[in-house]
Amino acid sequence: MIRRDIPRWLFWLLAIGGVAVLLGAYEMLAARATRTNPLQTTIPSFEMLVKGLNKIFQPQGEPENPKSPMFWVDMRATLSRLIIGMGIGVAASVVVGVLMGAYRWIEAPLFLSFKFLSKIPQIAMLSIYFNIFETGEVLFTSLVALGIFFSMTQSIYLAVRQDVSDEAINKAYTLGASEFEILYEVIWKQILPKIIDNIRLQTGPAIIFLLAAEMAVANAGLGYQIRMQSRILNMSIVFVYLAILAFIGLIVEWGLDTLRQKLCPWCVD
Amino acid sequence: MSEYALEIKSLSHVFGSFRVLDNIDLQVLPGQIVAVVGPSGCGKSTLLKAILGTHPPTHGEILTDGMPVRGPNRNVGIVYQNYALYDFLTAEKNVSFGLKMDETSMWMRFLATRKYFAKRRDHLKKSLDFLNVVGLSEACGKYPHEMSGGMKQRVAVAQAFIMRPKIVLLDEPFGALDEAMREDLQMMLLRFYQENLIAKREGRRPEYTILMVTHELNEAIYVADRVIGLSRFHTQGEQGAAIVYDRPCPVFRPDDPRDFSKFVEQREELRRAVFDENYIKDRNQYVTFWKELGTLANSVAGI
Ligand SMILES: Nc1ncnc2c1ncn2[C@@H]1O[C@H](COP(=O)(O)OP(=O)(O)O)[C@@H](O)[C@H]1O
Ligand SMILES: [Mg+2]
Repeated sequence: MIRRDIPRWLFWLLAIGGVAVLLGAYEMLAARATRTNPLQTTIPSFEMLVKGLNKIFQPQGEPENPKSPMFWVDMRATLSRLIIGMGIGVAASVVVGVLMGAYRWIEAPLFLSFKFLSKIPQIAMLSIYFNIFETGEVLFTSLVALGIFFSMTQSIYLAVRQDVSDEAINKAYTLGASEFEILYEVIWKQILPKIIDNIRLQTGPAIIFLLAAEMAVANAGLGYQIRMQSRILNMSIVFVYLAILAFIGLIVEWGLDTLRQKLCPWCVD
Repeated sequence: MSEYALEIKSLSHVFGSFRVLDNIDLQVLPGQIVAVVGPSGCGKSTLLKAILGTHPPTHGEILTDGMPVRGPNRNVGIVYQNYALYDFLTAEKNVSFGLKMDETSMWMRFLATRKYFAKRRDHLKKSLDFLNVVGLSEACGKYPHEMSGGMKQRVAVAQAFIMRPKIVLLDEPFGALDEAMREDLQMMLLRFYQENLIAKREGRRPEYTILMVTHELNEAIYVADRVIGLSRFHTQGEQGAAIVYDRPCPVFRPDDPRDFSKFVEQREELRRAVFDENYIKDRNQYVTFWKELGTLANSVAGI
């Protein structure tokens, strides 16, 4: 029967069982591949994955002149690009989106272009950005910022139009608020949960976008490393990196949910 | 200070080629509770938006406390049928929102000065006091989504009146509430009226001046001390709706029984004068408020 409840313990038993079955099947697959070719690295066993995990935390270079472990180099590169890029992108879209939603004479000249630009898959815009920006950190942060800017501006502009009623604004005037106070104390506060939701929604595309660019032109970063290691069939490292990406996703999701609950306890949906 | 809380001088409003309001003249004294009734679509909301200042009239002038209206401002408070509370503020903070906007600056808030915190405490206390007045003290920490319609409307009323505007506009304020809530809120307005009478006796300027649109004739006569009817059913009706009825009406005290039979006669007169499309009369036939007020004053003075 649809939606019939099952006991809690059974639910969690099945949940853990599902993961265990998946891991077991994978290990069997890896063992079989290793039997046919003992030197294979395309389907690494758990043992090899642990070795991979160890390797990415080992200092690189000669022992007398050690360099930072691969993991830290790549994480630092990717996360700084992501955070700075998203920071700039979010800030710009909040400013432009709020102003578009608040002032007709800003909305009018911009809304058609944004409607159109936000529909272009940003991954395809990479080809343009590669030609505009010189390779380097500026390229990656700009890519991320621009990659989220159009669709996020569009969402914030629509949120202002839909979530902030004319009544709320007119009333604020009657209560003595200035225009700037209405922008901050009424509009910003009303759409804050939508802004946080949008940051969460845009993190996925931003990461895709950044990894694609890193695979193409970077010389450090998660995307760069995944591509390099997969070229030499070092799948033990590739798989560990994929798991790291999943964890980044989980942490971002959890962090933004917590932030939203803290900042917007009034928002229930 | 002007003698009138609100003064409307030959106001007309035209949408495209459609004349909605024609040559409206109206003066409201501080402390009056004025009900506005009229057939649906006759321009009641249009009149209120003009007074609020969001939709300026195409002709004529509106003064609040002697000052021309040039947009929504501190002189005119508003209570909407859909409450329009700030979702992100608790009842207490919704009510103190205006005090915060009015008495603290962006800089004070941003720098979180000691003066700001002192003000803030004072505002929250005033807000709590006002929530007490509207009978909501236990709800002060609730967000709008946690409140019933009646509670929200009390918060909205407190939010408007705490600013002590020259006049508060209510556009069908209780239209979305059930009967029991409605009666409670009507009672609250009657208590405001009693406050006004006390203020007048003590020689103060009354605090609660109200212009309330309602489609309930009983509510209009019960709550208000003056009823205005807006309609096109007069001899120059093709030029737009005009004030075709303006008369005083009986004042109830909050603890009086809700005995509507007392004003059946006036209700029928109002219905005929404002809502009967076959009863075309001179637009000034029932506009006798000031004359009646004069005779009332004379009779009180013993002339
Ligand atoms: N923005 C507008 N443009 C054109 N006509 C309007 C507009 N707003 C209201 N009207 C018309 O003006 C008349 C009065 O509307 P309204 O003031 O809302 O009536 P009421 O509140 O008395 O029901 C109606 O006939 C309505 O169709
Ligand atoms: Mg209306």
